[in-house]
Amino acid sequence: MKLITRHWEKINPLDINSYIRQRGYESLQKVIRDMDPADVAVEIKNSGLRGRGGAGFPTGEKWEMAAKKKSREKYFICNLDESEPGTYKDRVIAEKNPHQIIEGILIGAYAIGAKKTFIYINGNYKKQADILKIAIDQAREKEFLGKGILGSAVDIEMEIFEGAGAYICGEETALLNSIEGQRGEPRLKPPFPPSEGLFGKPTIVNNAETLANVPYIIRHSAKEFSQIGSSTSPGTKLFLLEGAVKNKGIFEAPLGITAQELIYNSLYGNGLEAGKEFWFAQVGGASGRLMPGGRLDQLLIYGESEYPIGSGSILVVDKNANLKDFLLSWAGFFHRESCGKCVPCREGTFRLWEIAKRLKNKDFREKDRENIEDILWTLSNTTFCPLGKFAATAWTDAMKMFGKEIFS
Amino acid sequence: MSIQKILLKFEPKAENLLAVLKEIQKENGCIEKKECEAVAQYLSLPLARAFSAASFFDQLKTKKESKKIIKICSGGPCLGEKSMEVARQIEMLLKIELENDAHPKYKLELMSCVGLCDRGPIMMIDDQIFENVKPETVDDIISNYL
Repeated sequence: MKLITRHWEKINPLDINSYIRQRGYESLQKVIRDMDPADVAVEIKNSGLRGRGGAGFPTGEKWEMAAKKKSREKYFICNLDESEPGTYKDRVIAEKNPHQIIEGILIGAYAIGAKKTFIYINGNYKKQADILKIAIDQAREKEFLGKGILGSAVDIEMEIFEGAGAYICGEETALLNSIEGQRGEPRLKPPFPPSEGLFGKPTIVNNAETLANVPYIIRHSAKEFSQIGSSTSPGTKLFLLEGAVKNKGIFEAPLGITAQELIYNSLYGNGLEAGKEFWFAQVGGASGRLMPGGRLDQLLIYGESEYPIGSGSILVVDKNANLKDFLLSWAGFFHRESCGKCVPCREGTFRLWEIAKRLKNKDFREKDRENIEDILWTLSNTTFCPLGKFAATAWTDAMKMFGKEIFS
Repeated sequence: MSIQKILLKFEPKAENLLAVLKEIQKENGCIEKKECEAVAQYLSLPLARAFSAASFFDQLKTKKESKKIIKICSGGPCLGEKSMEVARQIEMLLKIELENDAHPKYKLELMSCVGLCDRGPIMMIDDQIFENVKPETVDDIISNYL
């Protein structure tokens, strides 16, 4: 079952007509001509669509919150900042079928009553930003966006905002600060963005993949979408297979699939490369948990799940890998990307990185073992935003699973 | 291009701060106090606000970089493709040490993910990205681009 990748081969990302030929922008026409904004939000809510950026919050519920707020100005933002190591799904959507994202944004903006929309794109995605700019211009020419969309009284403007290389700006409130021209540091929540977001106005921030699902739901109905995948988190997901698997790359699969199937089924990963033996898999990028071989049968779903899908990357690590390289990789990443706003994260990630370097150089001290526990607890429980918790996730699992090897 | 010319390309509103800073970085190579002052004045913002943004983002530099910066991605997928062996090869070639500032001309650093995990290992020299770098091919890149 393919929803997102289904027309990718037939679409020329630089030509809007190739998207229109695959019934593109029909959903936008449908909502503008036949649907009330409130009905659009209800339809998305009924579909059960959850945010694909990692948190898995029900998209329709978020839209309803912003739709109910009375405000002359509202904003709708597509989050295309992905910088999680191992994640590049949104980049691929943008370069294969940019209009799918744009149509999703326009439908969302209509549902909440936003006149101004942004695509917040990762500062490293220059080529993709250019593709999106061309796509926006073409959509404007066809009157899909701008003033008086398709002859109606609806005005929606769209702008691309390019980031400048900061992982934290994928966090929605840090993203808002960065658009406002401030340091990309997260804000205290509540108030949540749907009530007070960009410039204090109701704002929706949705991941690009989430929005790419929206045109399908509107065209085929919430009911049809809700029957795909798992009942608690319907739809499909782009999974990224990396590391020791035979077939690496991006694969669309229904939610509720297992890592076992993704790694070993010939449709997806097709097993491990010759001569490699499975050790563990990391699910969801550098901030993801480590899944041992015995737990590969866990369902990958959003919501209550022992192994959160996060952004959807699955990194397979084989027994020849050097765990200390991974420990240093995780600690180094979060140390570089910690924004510095709160002390537990700023200091915790720094000290963890120092210890990781000592472990790698085999010069760790007895006290380090104790300190690791201390730092991991502090990161998991006391940081201002989820980045600190993410920094501790893989380390905590590694300590539990491979404690002995780490200190050998 | 002079700072004033760059500034005039943008409407003087706070939302343009990051875009202005990126453009100055591109034209000027760095954003020092002098540039921050001009930006702050143009956008009617406190100097601290302009500097706090300029010093926050990876792609903006508040000091002129005199060394060639070589970066290797340390993300999981690149590690799986042996990015650490590439790093070791560079250490040997240039006689430098990873994350060590001692060499007068070069510096080798680890970097965060740039979203090209399907083309790793990824290496950067200043702003230029190299894909699928192997320990065998890194010599060529170093001799041609450094």
